[in-house]
Amino acid sequence: MTGVAISFREVTKSFDEKLVLDRVSLDVSPGEVLVLLGRSGCGKTTLLRLVNRLVDADAGGVYVGGREVADWDPVELRRGIGYAIQGVGLLPHLSVGENVSLVPRLLGWNPDRRRERAAEMLRLVGLDPREHGGRRPDQLSGGQRQRVGVARALAADPQALLMDEPFGAVDPIGRRSLQEEFRSLSQELGKTVLFVTHDVTEAFRLADRIAVVADGGIRQVGTPGEIRDSPADALVRGLIEGAA
Amino acid sequence: MSFLEFLAGRWTEILGLTLEHVVLVVISTVAGVLIAVPLGLAITRIPALGRPVLGFAGVIQTVPSLALFGLLIPLPLIGGIGSRTAIIALVLYALLPILRNTVTGVRQVDPAILDAANGMGMTDWQRLTLVEVPLALPSIFSGIRIATVVGVGLVTIAAAVGAGGLGSLIFRGLAMLDSRLLFAGAIPSAILALLADAGLAMLEARLVASRGAPTS
Repeated sequence: MTGVAISFREVTKSFDEKLVLDRVSLDVSPGEVLVLLGRSGCGKTTLLRLVNRLVDADAGGVYVGGREVADWDPVELRRGIGYAIQGVGLLPHLSVGENVSLVPRLLGWNPDRRRERAAEMLRLVGLDPREHGGRRPDQLSGGQRQRVGVARALAADPQALLMDEPFGAVDPIGRRSLQEEFRSLSQELGKTVLFVTHDVTEAFRLADRIAVVADGGIRQVGTPGEIRDSPADALVRGLIEGAA
Repeated sequence: MSFLEFLAGRWTEILGLTLEHVVLVVISTVAGVLIAVPLGLAITRIPALGRPVLGFAGVIQTVPSLALFGLLIPLPLIGGIGSRTAIIALVLYALLPILRNTVTGVRQVDPAILDAANGMGMTDWQRLTLVEVPLALPSIFSGIRIATVVGVGLVTIAAAVGAGGLGSLIFRGLAMLDSRLLFAGAIPSAILALLADAGLAMLEARLVASRGAPTS
């Protein structure tokens, strides 16, 4: 299944009177990896969470596959969109395999199909279902847990993936290999990916396009090459040069 | 006559009272669990319930047990002399530790895990049953353990309203100034409390082991 388009139209959001997003518009094309890059507190995570309605916009609209998310039942919407976060949020009382097949379980798949799917997903992210599938999350390394998080997000074959610093809690070497594998995986699967990070190197490594977010707005959208060669303003230049 | 000979002569009576004691503790703790766990879970969903319910249970806890038994006796339907009054008082005492531990256990679940659960598309009920309750189980269980151990002690006092149990030996010993009789009630009751605590601790450890550690 190929990815689905995600668009933001003039989206505004405040938390406790503080404006977090100010009339943001952005189009994510089907099948592309778009990285939201910005410092912490810039609004990028809020932007991501609008897509699966963990946050609802005050004004403006968010569209997934052409349909406004406000029209969806949040539960149903979320089951169709993969979600992976920093710290992974694996359920510590379930095995790795059970964690991976959680969304299929919510969708009512039968146990055999779920097990099969979990094994397939674990292999996809480079884990051995027989060796790792029966373990508890706390028996895995940080990098392995992140892989499980990705496998879980992919398990129900969603058309879009939302990832919020999913590799944030891994050491630099482990992160690098996770990024490379994720890059080839996302190209292979062709899913639409919205990826939040504050790590410029990560953004350049993974993105088809990067959207630089600052102060509740988008400063520039472009391919990594475009952003590198012609940063739109001093802030964007400062951000990417700060990492160099 | 030595204390042991004294016990040997009365062991059937002591055993019978011990059994009565255990039954009272089990009934009141089970009833406490059946009331307090759902109520505690309800509080996590309807925060407005928290203050009045926990407040009520807290006030009960401050009433001395003998006074609570005394207060219940004149009440119609639930009062009177006998084990029924005792059970009601014991259930009331069991509420607070279980309620509080249920609420705390659920509230302590890592927000990242809840976020992931929501993001995966769990309904509120699924999140409660698949995530929050399993992760709160160790905490709920330790509330039950506290309620049980406290219950063993309280049942001895319930003998004052004619509930039976080992407390009746203690009260008789006090009335007759017979320390052997007093110890014949007090020692088994203390042993019972220790056994209950150790037994539930073991059960708790197995529960946690089989479910994986509640930490990330």
